[in-house]
Amino acid sequence: MVETKKTLISPKKIRIAALLSVMGPGMIAGLSDDDPAGITTYSVVGSKYGYQLLWVLVASTFALIVFQDLGARIGVVTRQGMIGLVRQKYGARSGTLSATALILANIGTMTAEFAGIAAAGELFGLSRYVSVPLAALLVSFLVLRGSFARVEKVFFVISAVFIAYVIAGFMSHPDWGQALRGVVVPSLPFNHDAIYLATATLGTTLAPWGLAFIQSYAVDKRLTRDDLKLLRVDVWTGSLLTGIIGFFVVVTCAATLHKEGITINDASDAARALQPLAGTLAKDLFAFGLIGAALLAASILPLSTAYSVSDLTGRPAALDDSPKEAPLFYATFGAITTISAVLILIPGAPLIKILVLTQILNAVLLLPLLLYMFGIAKDERLMGEYVASKNMRRLYLVIISVVAFAIGCMLWFTVFP
Amino acid sequence: MKKPPVSGINTVAKRLVGRRDSVLERKNIREALVSFAGLVNRPVKDKDGKLIGKLVDIVVRHGEENYPPVSGLIVKVGQHKSFIDGARISALTHNEIRLSSAQINLEDYKRRPGESLLDADVLDHQIVDVNGLRVVRSSDLYLAPLDKEIRVVGVDISFRSFIRRIFPGALSRRPTPEHVVDWASVASLADTSGVVRSSESKAVLSQLRPADLADLIEDLAGREQNALIELLDPELAADALEEMEDEELQGLLRGLPSGRAAELISRMEPDESAEVLRDLADDHRESIFEEMDVQVAKSLRKLVSFDETLAGGIMTTHILITHEGDTVAHALKLLVEHRERDVSDGVVVVDSKGKLLDHIQVIELVAAKSTALLSSLIAQPFPTAIREDTPLKDVIEEFANNRGSSVIVVDEKNKPVGRILADDLVDALSAEKDAHGFPQGSGAF
Repeated sequence: MVETKKTLISPKKIRIAALLSVMGPGMIAGLSDDDPAGITTYSVVGSKYGYQLLWVLVASTFALIVFQDLGARIGVVTRQGMIGLVRQKYGARSGTLSATALILANIGTMTAEFAGIAAAGELFGLSRYVSVPLAALLVSFLVLRGSFARVEKVFFVISAVFIAYVIAGFMSHPDWGQALRGVVVPSLPFNHDAIYLATATLGTTLAPWGLAFIQSYAVDKRLTRDDLKLLRVDVWTGSLLTGIIGFFVVVTCAATLHKEGITINDASDAARALQPLAGTLAKDLFAFGLIGAALLAASILPLSTAYSVSDLTGRPAALDDSPKEAPLFYATFGAITTISAVLILIPGAPLIKILVLTQILNAVLLLPLLLYMFGIAKDERLMGEYVASKNMRRLYLVIISVVAFAIGCMLWFTVFP
Repeated sequence: MKKPPVSGINTVAKRLVGRRDSVLERKNIREALVSFAGLVNRPVKDKDGKLIGKLVDIVVRHGEENYPPVSGLIVKVGQHKSFIDGARISALTHNEIRLSSAQINLEDYKRRPGESLLDADVLDHQIVDVNGLRVVRSSDLYLAPLDKEIRVVGVDISFRSFIRRIFPGALSRRPTPEHVVDWASVASLADTSGVVRSSESKAVLSQLRPADLADLIEDLAGREQNALIELLDPELAADALEEMEDEELQGLLRGLPSGRAAELISRMEPDESAEVLRDLADDHRESIFEEMDVQVAKSLRKLVSFDETLAGGIMTTHILITHEGDTVAHALKLLVEHRERDVSDGVVVVDSKGKLLDHIQVIELVAAKSTALLSSLIAQPFPTAIREDTPLKDVIEEFANNRGSSVIVVDEKNKPVGRILADDLVDALSAEKDAHGFPQGSGAF
């Protein structure tokens, strides 16, 4: 018999390893907010107002951190997704209304992601009739075939493309002093366009599906109260990165397009316009980042929707379940992906209308969702010792009021342009 | 995830539930069903039809009865939420509630132990449907007069009834009893003061296989999870816990009070307990040990200290130790006493110093005279013995060489401390596989 020295319990796991195992919900939910709609908004902000509105991005990032943090905490403590909790606490009507609005808004947003893929693909000379179905297949395959851990790894790899925006930012040789001024000094030209863009920035950063997603994902990842500290690191990092990437997009466009007085309508315009100003590589990086951003968000959106629908009906679903075990979960996933892909491919579909309506729906939905989250956060029976403190409640209310004001302005300008 | 074929279990559950006549089969009950979801916000009137207030919630009391009786109403009168005793209800229809007197107590309702609120605790919350073996949300609850009291008799888990509630006005209140499930066949778990239990559902739950229970537990949210555990017999709960995924189990233990966690862990197989304890945070593990029986804690502490890749870390400490001077009758009696544990295949015989002599199979004991001494049965083949610090790789080799179903684990003084059964080896290997992708050094598999 082999005489080995008695080995005691394996050495304490290194903190980094522990962090990596918790990492995910915050990073993925945060970064997928930098979707094509987000990149488009940031590009337009940068090209139209230069560095002036950067502070809006800072404020939005702050709001994102606060509410993603709350969403993750609610998920871990209650072990239920947002829509399920809304049904439980606020009743059948609130639950169904939120879920329906979320589904519609998500279909619209998913269409926007595919629009991003189509536009970015065309920059590389790829027809949308190839790129969109390919992307739809890719995200479905990824989510349907992979195990939870594998899917998460792929999400992380996709997220790496966001580095492209940082590089593009440096390549455009921005005026860092001006950028810093824009970050620190809040100023806003009081006109329709500026207010609309400021609200759009807030809306694209703090998206309802992102909030619903982080909560369900924390549940699916089976994170527990012991993980909360590390999860917070994850959420804060993810949200900060989201803001930083937005910053570089704004800065890139401010340093090039704004300086030259070029106006653009969307992110692919921005990429195209970058070519003569910052070189082909900058254009390619911008377009490449757009595809990655769209793919990440296109993977998350149907997933977030599927979680929400399962949650409403009370049938818990997990990525590790097979389609046979969770038919509703996978049916929702498939339906959202298919409908959006078809919408984008129908010639003459009213895309602009769909996208504008989506933006309004997301904005209208955001407010009740934030209020529900606030209500859940202060519910002692649900949150136990993690119930929100007085100061946190005040902070939530302040952010919710600002969001309400911004959404009010946005709706006003949409109805009376 | 390990999911067994559902059909077999369904039949068991159906047989169990179907055996009893459901009260929903009775015509007078079916016709008297009132939808609770529709009642919320309906007017509460006195006997002359004068409006008193609006219904906020209904309080039920649960004991051992299958159908919890209504103990009172919470009614919004002006700015107050008053409690009205259930005895004063003179009529309860799907449109309104009539009271026999107009006397109102203006004190706010305070929760009492043994009671729960239908809207705040049960409606739209997770419940366990023991017929379908799944976790669902309740879409509606049905009330009906039964045994001189108004009781919760049915629960609706259909999505259609949930959708009905979204519609405005009378449409949302119209009962849809075609989807009602007998209250006794669900386990509703949302309550802080206890569990909304029904003896029937408890009986069905106790017939389930531990692996199915483990799946149900994993599907529930935190508080409901704890409630289901409370509902189960500790022995069964411990069996179910053994079947849970490691991460889920750790999460569950973190949510339980140390005393309860200690009780459950003590009832689990020692090797499984050690595995879970090993992964808990140091102070949490300590607090659980403190709540345990001193002896159990001592042996578990030792197991926990072993590495999972050594014999000591995967062995079970459940062995029956007998002395060479004991009789066969004594050994058989020991076996019968411990039949619940996984030791039924034989006893370990030691000498006066406690050193390992042999492992005697049940069949040998049965064949021998009951007055015979165990020493007379000691003979070839002798069991394979390995030391606690034998690496997993060598344990596998021993198994492969000897073709036995178990090996005995001994300490440095050759005293038996545990056994490794084939299934412990499978567990250890699948854990390795999870960690490394493929088992290492396991060519035999």
